[in-house]
Formats: sequence, C-alpha cells, structure tokens
Amino acid sequence: MTNTLGRWLKPVTSLKLTVFCLACAMVLVFVGTLDQVHIGIYEAENRYFRSWFLFWTPPDTQLRIPWFPGGYIVGTLLLVNLIAAHLARFKLSWKKAGILFLHSGLILLLIGQLFADIFIDRESQMRLHQGQTKNYSESLYHDELAIIDTSGDDSDQVISVPDSQLYKGNRIALPADSLELVVNDFYPNSALVSPSKLPRPAYPHLQIGPMADAVQLERTYKEDDRNRPAATVSLLQNGKLIDTYSLAAAFPRPINFQAAGKSYQVVLRPKRFYKSFAIQLLEFRHDRYAGTDIAKNFSSRIRLVDPSQHEDRESLIFMNNPLRYRGYTFFQAGFDNNDTTTILQVAQNPSWLVPYISCALIVFGMLLQFGMHLVSFVRHRVIP
Amino acid sequence: MAPRREKPGPQVREFGSLPVLAGGRVMPMDSLARVSLSQWNHHGTYTRADRTVAEPSEGLLEILMMPERADSAKLFEASNPDILKILGSPNAQGFVLFSFTELKPYFDEIEKQAGLAERTEPESRNPFQRGIVKLRAGLRLYLELKNTIQAEDSRDFGKEIEAFGRAIQPGLNAVRNRVAGQPFSQQDFRRILVFTQRYKNLVQLKYASAIPNPQRAGQNDGWQHISEALLSAIRDGRVPYAATAYGRLIAGYRANDAVAFNAALRDYQGYLSKIIPEKLARPKLEFAFNQAQPFLQAMALYVAVLLFALFSWLLWPKTLSKTAVILLITAFLIHTAGLIVRMYLQGRPPVTNLYSSAIFVGWASVLLCIILERFYQNGIGSVCGAVIGFVTLLIAHNLQLDGDTLEMLRAVLDTNSWLATHVVGEALGYSAMFLAGLIGIIYVFRGVFTRSFDEATSRSLGRMMYGVVCFATLFSLVATILGGIWADQSWGRFWGWDPKENGALLIVLWNAIVLHARWGGLARERGLALMTVFGNVVTSFSWFGVNMLGVGLHSYGFMDRAFGPLIGFIVSQLTIIGVGLIPLKYWRGMQTRQIRTPPQSPATTCVPTDAH
Repeated sequence: MTNTLGRWLKPVTSLKLTVFCLACAMVLVFVGTLDQVHIGIYEAENRYFRSWFLFWTPPDTQLRIPWFPGGYIVGTLLLVNLIAAHLARFKLSWKKAGILFLHSGLILLLIGQLFADIFIDRESQMRLHQGQTKNYSESLYHDELAIIDTSGDDSDQVISVPDSQLYKGNRIALPADSLELVVNDFYPNSALVSPSKLPRPAYPHLQIGPMADAVQLERTYKEDDRNRPAATVSLLQNGKLIDTYSLAAAFPRPINFQAAGKSYQVVLRPKRFYKSFAIQLLEFRHDRYAGTDIAKNFSSRIRLVDPSQHEDRESLIFMNNPLRYRGYTFFQAGFDNNDTTTILQVAQNPSWLVPYISCALIVFGMLLQFGMHLVSFVRHRVIP
Repeated sequence: MAPRREKPGPQVREFGSLPVLAGGRVMPMDSLARVSLSQWNHHGTYTRADRTVAEPSEGLLEILMMPERADSAKLFEASNPDILKILGSPNAQGFVLFSFTELKPYFDEIEKQAGLAERTEPESRNPFQRGIVKLRAGLRLYLELKNTIQAEDSRDFGKEIEAFGRAIQPGLNAVRNRVAGQPFSQQDFRRILVFTQRYKNLVQLKYASAIPNPQRAGQNDGWQHISEALLSAIRDGRVPYAATAYGRLIAGYRANDAVAFNAALRDYQGYLSKIIPEKLARPKLEFAFNQAQPFLQAMALYVAVLLFALFSWLLWPKTLSKTAVILLITAFLIHTAGLIVRMYLQGRPPVTNLYSSAIFVGWASVLLCIILERFYQNGIGSVCGAVIGFVTLLIAHNLQLDGDTLEMLRAVLDTNSWLATHVVGEALGYSAMFLAGLIGIIYVFRGVFTRSFDEATSRSLGRMMYGVVCFATLFSLVATILGGIWADQSWGRFWGWDPKENGALLIVLWNAIVLHARWGGLARERGLALMTVFGNVVTSFSWFGVNMLGVGLHSYGFMDRAFGPLIGFIVSQLTIIGVGLIPLKYWRGMQTRQIRTPPQSPATTCVPTDAH
C-alpha cells in the first residue's frame, strides 16, 4: 500500500520539482517587481502573484495567451511538493527533526497566506477631517454604483453595484422594488472639465452637471493617483424608465429620485466597507525634527464608538502603533489638507497569528539543522 | 603694520567642534562643512581660488564669516556636457569646478532650467535634469550657509548686533508710545522697524540653527537661526549671548585678529559648557570621528591584507599569511570602532540607511572571514575579508555623497527593536551572500587559471561555500519573516509585495534553490560555486536595484547614481559564471590534477540526496 502510494507520489515528491518551482517563483517575483514601475504595486500583485497564469495579449487583439504560471499555481505546486515529500519520506529521526520543523513552519506560512489572500477584503482607507465621524472605509482601487433607500428611520439600505459590473450595455436587475439598471456608457477613468474647455463641442463626454463634463482618460496605475470612473445609467422600474443619470466618481454627489413611493439616491463613489462601529478624528499631529521638514511622527487621536459593544473611548494611532479593533487594523498611512485630514489604512487579517508561529518553527528548525551541521563540521574539519 | 610672527592662527579645529543644529540633529560645525561640501562636489573639498585646498571646517569658517572671499572658492561641480554648455563652458570636459561668482551670470538660466526639470518626476529625470536640480539646490544651500550666523551683506555683523541691541529698548518705547497716541521718537521707531524687516527677510534663508537660546527651549530644542534669535531678542529685550559671541568671532576673523578670535571662541565654549553641557559630548566625539576617518584607515589596511594574503599563496606562506591575519584583525577592530562610534552618535542599531548598511555588511562579512580563516588557515578567509571589507567601505564612501550619513530617521523607521532585528538580519544575510559569492569566484578563478587547485582546496572551498550559504539562508529567511511581522504590526498586513520585500524574498528563494539543488545532487562543487556567484547578482539587486525602482513603502532609500556600477557588477558576475561554465577538461587546475593523481569523480559531501 505504502509502496504504491510512494510510486504514485514519486514525481510530485522530487527535489527537481522543488528547484523548478522555486526557480519559477524567482522569475515571477523578479518580473513582477520590475513591472511595478509601470503598473504599480496593486496591479502587479493581481497579475503576477494573485493569479493562475500570466497572460500575454498580442497587440491589437483581445487574445489572452497564458505564457507562465502565476503565483497561485507555483505556490500550490510548492505546497503539494513539500507535503508529498514529507508524506513519502516521513521518518522520525533526530537527524531530520530540524528539517521537519522548518518545513512545517513553511507549510503553515504558505497555507496561512493563501487563506488570508482568498478570504479577506482588500485594504481600504478611511479619510477623516478634523472632527469628522465615519463608520465606513473606502476602497483605494474600486468604485461602486450605490442605490440608497433613504426612507428608513435610522438607517439606509444600500444596494451596491461593483465597478466590474459597470460596462456599456449591461442590464442589472436590482434586488428591490423591481428596479433595473442599464449602463448606457462607462468610462473606467475620467476627468471633470468645464464644458467650455472641451476640445470641440462634439468631443465624447458625459454631462455631469451644468458646470462639469466628464471626459475619458487612460487608466492610471500611478501610486499616488486613482481611477475615477464616470457613467451614464438609466434606472427602470418594471421596465419603465424612471430617469437617466450621468455620474462621476470624482464628484460623488448623490442624486435623489422616487420609486415605489420611496426616496432613493443614486451615486457613483469609491467602494465602501461599512463597519459596525464609528471612528471620529479628534486631532491629527504631524511632528517634525527640529528645524527641518523631515517627519518625526504622525499621530491621530481618535474616538471609537461602538454601541453594540458599549465602547466609547479615545485612542491614539501613530507610526508603528495601529489601532486593532474587532479584527481590523487601522494604521496611520498619510495626511492631507495641510495636516487637518488624516488617512488611516484599514486592513483585515484574521490569520495574523500564523506568521508568528511559523517564524518560531522555522527559526527553531534551522537552528537545529544548521547547528547539527556546524557541530559535525567543526568535529570533522580537515585542515589542508 | 607687519604681521606678528608669533601670533597663532584662528583655532579652526576648536571652531569645527562647535555644535550646530542641522537636518534635525545637533552636529559639529565640521560635519556641517563636510555634508555641505559633499553636496557640491564629489571630492567634498573646499578649493580656494588659488587652487589650495582648505580643511572642511576652515572652508565653512570662510563661508560663514567672510562670504565675499568664499564666493571665489571653487565649490560647485558640473560634469554634464549640456549643463557645462549652459554655464558658458562648452568645451570643458570631466568634472569642472565653479565658484559662486563664476556662476552668478547664469543664475537666471539655472533657475529656469531647474524649474522646468522639477516638473518631471524625480525617477524619470535625465542626467541633465538631475544635474541642474542638484546644482540649484547646491547654490541654495550655499546662500543659506552664508546667512547662518550673520546677514551676508553686513560689513561688520558684530557691530550691527551691538547697534541692534542698543536700539531695542528705545525702539520698543517708541512703538508703545505710538500705539498709545503719545509723542514718540521717529528715529527710534524707524530704526527698530528697519532691523525687524531685515531679520524677517533673513528668516527666508534659514537652514542650520547655530544659536542655542535657553530662553526659547520649547521650540526646536532651544536652537535658533540667527534671524530668529534676533527677532526673539525684540520680545525678550536683549540679544542672546550666543549671537553676540558669534558677532565677536566674526569681528575677530574679519580683522584677521586670531587672538581676539580665539579668545571669543574660548568664551563661547565656556558659555556652552554652562548652558548645554549635555549636548556637547556627541558633537565633540563626532568631530574626533571625522578627523580620525576610521573607515578610510580600515580601507587602506584591507588593501594591505589582500596583498599579503595573495602573496602568501606564492611564497613564504606561513609568515605572510600570519601577517595578513594580524592586519585583517587590526582592520576589523578599527572598522568595529567606527561602527560603534556611529551607533553611539545616532543612538541607534547599526543599520539605518544605505550608507550604514554598506558599513555593516562589510563588517559582518569580515567577521565571518576571520572565523573561516581560523578554521581553515588557507588564506581564503583573509583574501575574502580584505576584498569585501575594501569594496563595501568603498561603496559606503561613495554613498556618503548623498548627504548626512547620521541623518534622522523617517517616521516609520523610528523603532529600534525592529531596526535591530529585521534590518540587521537582512544585512547579515547580504554579508553572507557576498562572502559565499566571493568564495565561488575564487573557486572559478583558481580552478580555471591556476595550478594550485588540488582536490583538498576544491573540497574545502565547497564546504566553505555550503556553510556560508546555510548561514545566509538562516538570516535572510528569519529576517524576511520578521520584516513581515513588523509590517503586520505597523501596517496590519504581513506581506504587501513591495519591491524591497520582493528583493528579500528573491534572496530567500535563491538560497532555497542552491541548498535543494545541492541536496538533490543537481549541483556539485562547481555548480555550487556558480550558483553562489549568481547569488551576488540577486543580492545586489535586492540591496540596491529595488531602491532604484522608486516604488513602494520602502523607497526612502532612493538613489540613481549607482545604476551604472550596479549593471557593471551584474555583467561582471555573469561573465564569471560564463568562465566557470567552461568544460572541466580545459580547467588548468583539473589538468594538473589529472597529471598528478588518477582521475576521480568530483567529490560530494555528507548530506544524502533524500534530505528533503
């Protein structure tokens, strides 16, 4: 039984496969890192590391030709190889103990990261002006078309249509009052210009307001910039047109409308992640080294209000000292508006403990293994 | 009047150790001089109009106190042909030095071109744009320095301060009376107004703060620029002592009266030791450190070690190799002393920026080499220590040109515990990688080109490489994971695919490849050697290459000057790998071995192939 299993596992357990996978990983990391210069960290992460394949699109075509395994394939293969090798050759001996510890640490780390990768919301940001309170953070990269039912007494119902659904001609049935959304036009990135600044009157644009037209821009991958989509959408109820709206994420002002006797709003805005608690910025501080503009510290004094947990307290968020609350980590990421607005990055990482455990296992394993090598080396060293 | 022979000159060294606040830290005047000079020209020298070179402190003294003479000193370097054309020297070649006066006619053009260049993002500027922006920044710095302890247009700043001090009280009275609608002295009123306006303008040129003012301890740790000191004097009713003291120094210096200058200097030092005794020790030590230049001394010694160790392979092996080891240990001790003094001055773990990483990587490699030499006693440790020690210090020497090497740390780095673990661990990983790579290079060269490549040598080189790679794997893997934990603690996520993180990951992956290839029998000694040489490529990319991308949260170490040398280094390593790929039968070392001994299969060591 063990024998057949062993034979069957042989190709998956080989060291050659290990070396091959590690080499693929190196190529992937190297190329992905270089490409970050052009497409930014986020996009490179999606294309190279959080993907099954790298795709090549020949110019002037829509083809997507896979030419190299992506991060998921390489990572999974390595994991399978590692686990299979240990299953096939498992022997409890002191000589192998170090390697066993080291590799179990690695397996744990890989699984933990894969889990974190698949099940966690991406990072988002919370921008707070002095005194402002928010119970949501906003995505850095994605937008949503929100249809908000404002007729409730103390809370709004929000229907969020992700930007991946917003493309020209798409019809989306909304889960309320038999509403339907039709995307008439969509610009993945746009800029607002005054109507008089259009190159010519017939230049393609969306009329956002009397003073602003949206014109299409190339998608941007710059780190300090984001895409600001614009769209023209029609809302229908039971197939009957309610109205058509031109919306721009660069100017996320909600537009009111009535449907089924209820007040609604429609808005195109950065995708929101609502929390069950709220944060208010009390004070932002930007300390500099004496006589210079070099930042010494940024800190945000905030108030945390969570009615469900009966929490209402102050906290200080500063460099290397984030606020951790209910699985979220809020860390000081930046500031704006002459030091009156704080930007908190919000991350969620339920498997945060895993790296600590795997680090301990790996260190212990390596010290054991290399320590034993060192002892035998010193004992048997040959002096020429 | 004939100058008196016995009169000693102004005590420049004493002046050089006076404290001043610049770049967020208190440093000696001498460091301010050196940091500024290295911004202006790549030698960091102060060359007078008559082509004599002055000590940095002496040069700074001239800039601070006799700017009209400093204006003719050749300080500003330009080497880009297009910049030289703008500066009216179309035929000049190489590094050309200009004085402030020589550049004056071109200020408008420099300003215009630099303004245009600044609209391009720093990473995508071409050499002309980088050069012109740097030149303008250098000129700006020079202007600011000239106005550090006086207004440069003042004929006699000592007298001006005296006059100002006398004008404060009557002026304040006049202002008060005027506000109260009572008769007041027009003359007193106007005089204080003129002074106030003058010093307010001077604030625009603030850079270094040289005036310690105990009455203003709350702001900027109690340090003021001369303009701030004089403006606050209007509120306090009297001029801070330090401003007056500098006034006297200037008067003495300008009158070429060394006795008066030195007396004023002694008074001022006495005053400082009364008001800020606790802040004097570090600038004094830093001054001594600047003078001693331990890293330059160590560099010279490393060259000597290399020569002795190389010759020990040819003749008098015992004497020469022993001398080499003694010299190596001496150099290492000097290197260590320099490292420790820097750590004390900064109050930080050893690695805080690229400069200090070079110093530390070299230091750790040399330590490993000494240990290797202790075990093997075959001169390899000495040669490697000498080469890596010298090269890393040379790199550090060049990185020095980027500014203050003891600079204050950006907010996110302000944590000693992570600097001491993650950053130091990564640097230890780098040192071991380079050491293994160098042993690999020695393996290739001795094997291909020399007859000294017997089997014992080959085997011991193999074991050395293997041991050092294990060490590198240990430190780079642990340090990378620790970095992830740091990121989790301060950014809430373990891994963000940031270029510097990826660079560290590349080293870990490469080490894993090397070790598994060896355990799997895919690589024997030669394979190991070639792979460790490629490790040099990976490590240099991770150390410097990723910083040139200008992307991500770690990119505060941005630098572009090193691009050429980095590419050169990578090409050289790839060439060495190419040489090592020459079939073994053409290796001189192998040919000799075949003549001497019957052919044998290449030696493999200890670990069985299934050690996965």
